[in-house]
Amino acid sequence: MSRRTITLLAVAAASALLLAGCAPAAGPATSAPAAGGTLTYATGFGEPDCLDPHNGGNMPQALVGTNFLESLFSQDADGAIVPWLATAGTPSADGLTWDITLRDDVSFSDGTPFDAAAVKANIEQIQDPATASSTGILALGKVQSVEVVDPTTARFHLSEPDSALLESLAQTWLAMESPAGLARGLEANCEAPIGTGPFIVDSWTKQDSITLVRNENYNSAPAGAAHEGPAYLDTIVWRFIPDSATRFAALQSGQVDVIDEMQPDNVVAADSSDQFDVLTGALPGASIRLELNSGFAPFDDERVRKAFVHSADVNPGIQSLFFGTAERSYSVLSSSTPYGASFPDDFTIDTDLANQLLDEAGWTGRDSEGYRTKDGQRLVVDFPVSTNQSIPAEQSLFEQIQATTKEVGFDVELHPLDLSSWYSALGSWDFGVTSAIYTKNSPDVLRILYHSSNIVPAPSGYHANNAHVSIPELDSLLTEAGETTDDAQRASLYEQAQKILSDGAYVLPLYDHLQKIGYSTKVHGLSLLPTLQIPYFGDVWVQQ
Amino acid sequence: MSLPTSVIAGGASAHERDAHGEPAEAARAGVNISGLRRGHGVRAFFGALGVAQWIAVGFLLLLLVAALLPSLLAPGDPLAIDPGDAFRAPGWGHPFGTDESGRDVYTRVVHGTAPSLVIGVSATTIGILLALVFGTAAALGGRVVDFGVSRFLEVLFAFPGLLLALLVITVYGPGIVTSTIAVGLATAPGYARIIRSQTRAVASSAYVEAAVVLGKSRGRILARHILPNAVAPVFVLVTLGVGQAIVWAAALSYLGLGAEPPAAEWGAMLFAGKNYVTTAWWMTFFPGLAIVLSAAATTVLGRALQRRSLR
Amino acid sequence: MRWLLLRLGGAVFVLWAAATLTFFGLRLIPGDPAQAILGGPGSQASAEALAQVRAEYGLDQPLFTQYLTQLGRLVTGDLGTSYSLRTPVVEVIGSQIGGTLLLAALALIVAWAIALGLALWSTRGGRIAAGVGSALEIVAAAVPHFWLATVLVLVFSTTLRWFPAVSTAGPEGLVLPVLTLALPLAGFLGQVMRESVLDALDAPFTLSARARGEGEGGVRWRHVLRHGSLPGIALSGWAFGWLISGAVVVETIFARPGLGRTLLNAVQLRDVPLVVGMVLVVALGYVVMTVATDAATRVADPRMRAS
Repeated sequence: MSRRTITLLAVAAASALLLAGCAPAAGPATSAPAAGGTLTYATGFGEPDCLDPHNGGNMPQALVGTNFLESLFSQDADGAIVPWLATAGTPSADGLTWDITLRDDVSFSDGTPFDAAAVKANIEQIQDPATASSTGILALGKVQSVEVVDPTTARFHLSEPDSALLESLAQTWLAMESPAGLARGLEANCEAPIGTGPFIVDSWTKQDSITLVRNENYNSAPAGAAHEGPAYLDTIVWRFIPDSATRFAALQSGQVDVIDEMQPDNVVAADSSDQFDVLTGALPGASIRLELNSGFAPFDDERVRKAFVHSADVNPGIQSLFFGTAERSYSVLSSSTPYGASFPDDFTIDTDLANQLLDEAGWTGRDSEGYRTKDGQRLVVDFPVSTNQSIPAEQSLFEQIQATTKEVGFDVELHPLDLSSWYSALGSWDFGVTSAIYTKNSPDVLRILYHSSNIVPAPSGYHANNAHVSIPELDSLLTEAGETTDDAQRASLYEQAQKILSDGAYVLPLYDHLQKIGYSTKVHGLSLLPTLQIPYFGDVWVQQ
Repeated sequence: MSLPTSVIAGGASAHERDAHGEPAEAARAGVNISGLRRGHGVRAFFGALGVAQWIAVGFLLLLLVAALLPSLLAPGDPLAIDPGDAFRAPGWGHPFGTDESGRDVYTRVVHGTAPSLVIGVSATTIGILLALVFGTAAALGGRVVDFGVSRFLEVLFAFPGLLLALLVITVYGPGIVTSTIAVGLATAPGYARIIRSQTRAVASSAYVEAAVVLGKSRGRILARHILPNAVAPVFVLVTLGVGQAIVWAAALSYLGLGAEPPAAEWGAMLFAGKNYVTTAWWMTFFPGLAIVLSAAATTVLGRALQRRSLR
Repeated sequence: MRWLLLRLGGAVFVLWAAATLTFFGLRLIPGDPAQAILGGPGSQASAEALAQVRAEYGLDQPLFTQYLTQLGRLVTGDLGTSYSLRTPVVEVIGSQIGGTLLLAALALIVAWAIALGLALWSTRGGRIAAGVGSALEIVAAAVPHFWLATVLVLVFSTTLRWFPAVSTAGPEGLVLPVLTLALPLAGFLGQVMRESVLDALDAPFTLSARARGEGEGGVRWRHVLRHGSLPGIALSGWAFGWLISGAVVVETIFARPGLGRTLLNAVQLRDVPLVVGMVLVVALGYVVMTVATDAATRVADPRMRAS
């Protein structure tokens, strides 16, 4: 056993204890857990097209999938890797092979045993173009093949070292499914994937709900769970309610027991009521932030970017619009992702400085409406807003940014767009600034978002590097951080990388992307799995 | 989306059937319209107004002032934010309260008059103009043209109005202009049907026949007799359509496709306030009131005009 | 016979044109259908996957060829397979249409009842009733669905707890969605019906009925109501298309499965076969409704029967 494995397991044990201590987030334990009952969950994230998260790979799939699928690894509250279906992961000295040892006592809900052959089948299915994976396949970019050493050891062969491998494998998008289930073909597998989780997909009525029933043979609770063995609930009804006001009304009237994607004012209302409670957690990956398109005018000039950042006064708005439920962030990384670095001094509000910078950049003219001009051109910043991704309070905050940057002469033009149009605008670089969500349980998200190679669009036109950051020094820092497994070295590399982003005013961090789960106080034992801040229902019971 | 004009078209097609049903009724339809033609005159019209109508006139004048000189009624800046002053209930200093960014709702309602009315009036105008071309062409252009145009209108009608709007907006991007065009396009078929039936009724009326007998030129008959009489009732119906256009533009906002923020447009304000309906009712109440009162005022006047012309 | 043939030809033309407009409309707006197939916009699908999908669905063919192919399929009654749901379009529509039709039909009936009741009451009750009725209609007609829905939920679900906020299996879940759709429609219908009720009250046939000594109730029931409902009947054909548009908003708010919600999603995902399929169904519904209302008008209006 290498040194790394040992520390890994030690951390796992420690954090399991830690988590067990804080897991029962729901209310005072008035009585012993009671088995049975049905829980209705209402999601605002939308309905998946396919329940197999290997296909595509988005948040709606991960949310519901966590109930019936489990991953090789999990994470603790600090983002450290802990075992789940795997017991340990050990890299070779050159970092090009990883031995993943597996539990030998777990079976899929169809009876198929979970073993190294199953791991191999899953990885191969994700990498098969016919599966049309986008998130999973990207996370496995460095994985060349999986070798079955023995039933409890799967060896991953990599093309280059990957320090984020175990984190990738912890995501629900790379969860383990029964090989027999996969063999049914994508279409059947989309309807009801077969996993090892506490629940089993019973039926799926499109546009209405998914019904999940208890897995009676469940024995693989994640680290931090309050109990081992089968779940308490008989059934979970997973409903799709897109309108946030309706979702909250349904919770208030007792039609549903748990809701997600709460509006800030509803969080406050639920918190102050004794009938409801709220569970929040910062989604890992990047914080909610504005990305300044540094590849094209006007933000190709660092002075203009800095003028924008120093004039966009967001703190008062975050206070009033989020009713104290969100805290200002000065980091590109979410507070739940390790190695985040904050540089508040780079984001002070200083209109004099902003004006001076714009003067220096040559934007000296003013037109009749008070906007700055240069050579007769107005200082326009196009801001495509995804109405699917940005909640109303966020859109209001963008209006406030528009108003405060107007004082120094920016003409920020907000364009609310549907998801397809929004991606088109981003794909054609037709914007000055935008806000895009990126959820990933690893600081390696920085490489995805700011490595110059990700300016080049994917075949679909999608590119992750919306800020058009292209700095060789940053590239090599991020690549190195992605290959090293030494904690101290990773921390230092990621801090340097974030300093470069902050110094160059490429990004304006706003706040953490919060998972906001509201639930009735009749619901007990609800917790969030730290990996992707997804609710875990294996411990939940409903007071009758 | 097609309803505002559907209503109107429905009403008119009933008349149309009257017209086809009995020749005497057709004549009446002609007289309906020529009531205006005979010229009761503006003075006569205003002379016959009741209290409700006078209130409506007064309110419309107020709207006109708000649209043309908003700063006269509300000197503040409708876009000026003050996050520290957000969600203030109506009271001294903020008669209509403040919104989520601390903007003054009263100022925004007043300054929102122009864009809202522009949407309402120009969407309706677009609908009418298109309808005029298609409707008269269908009525006067002979069987082939009539068949073609009628089928074309049916296609537009068969299209769910909202889908038409969605397509227009996804092609040209959201905003007041595209919302207006989308709503206008969606309402055109309804107006076209009325114009077609009115034009037919007028064309077959006694005085047009008389003009033909007298040997007046085709163009002259069209310009002097047919068009004015065919358009007059439509003008009355437009007043009913304006409020509806504003409401439909608001529905587009709900789908995230309306006016671009931070425009102080009533529909967009209604949409933005919807999220805070439990905590800040004034954010939706006042812009909603503005829409309802505008619709009410134009409807009351439109009715009065219609009654006059029927007499 | 000739009338029927023309009518049929017209209907086929309407369906063809609607399909064509939708096809080109959707393909001209930004967004890649291949992405819709591969997990929605913003997917990071690989080049191989995209190429495979494009070949499989014929998206690598020239646009006009794709159009002809799809048209050919439509002629044989094959609506194709939805890009985003991976299910045959017929199946998707089949599973969604029931809820929407039920919602629309109930809304139409309720709107009719309210409008007719209001029109009859307010034309009878003198000036004040007329004013109140007219005001109610104007307010109802000027209220957007999304706002009305929010207020209804707030009052009847959150506060009074009479009706559920989201759809349920039972009939109680239909109350608020139906009211949301029906109230604005009732406003419109009421405005139009009041006019024709007033017309009918002054009409010669009403006078002669009164002169014949028929009671006021009989007059109203037999003559005025019949005449007053004429524009309403004529309107119901168009109201159908309008209700579908309204259903987009109402189904989203009340989380009801249905055509409206599916349509909105399909447009946003650029799911061409699904949108075309739904437009065809709505157009067909419109055509059927038009024929039905024509027939109903013939029944309600004696003059039409004569001609």
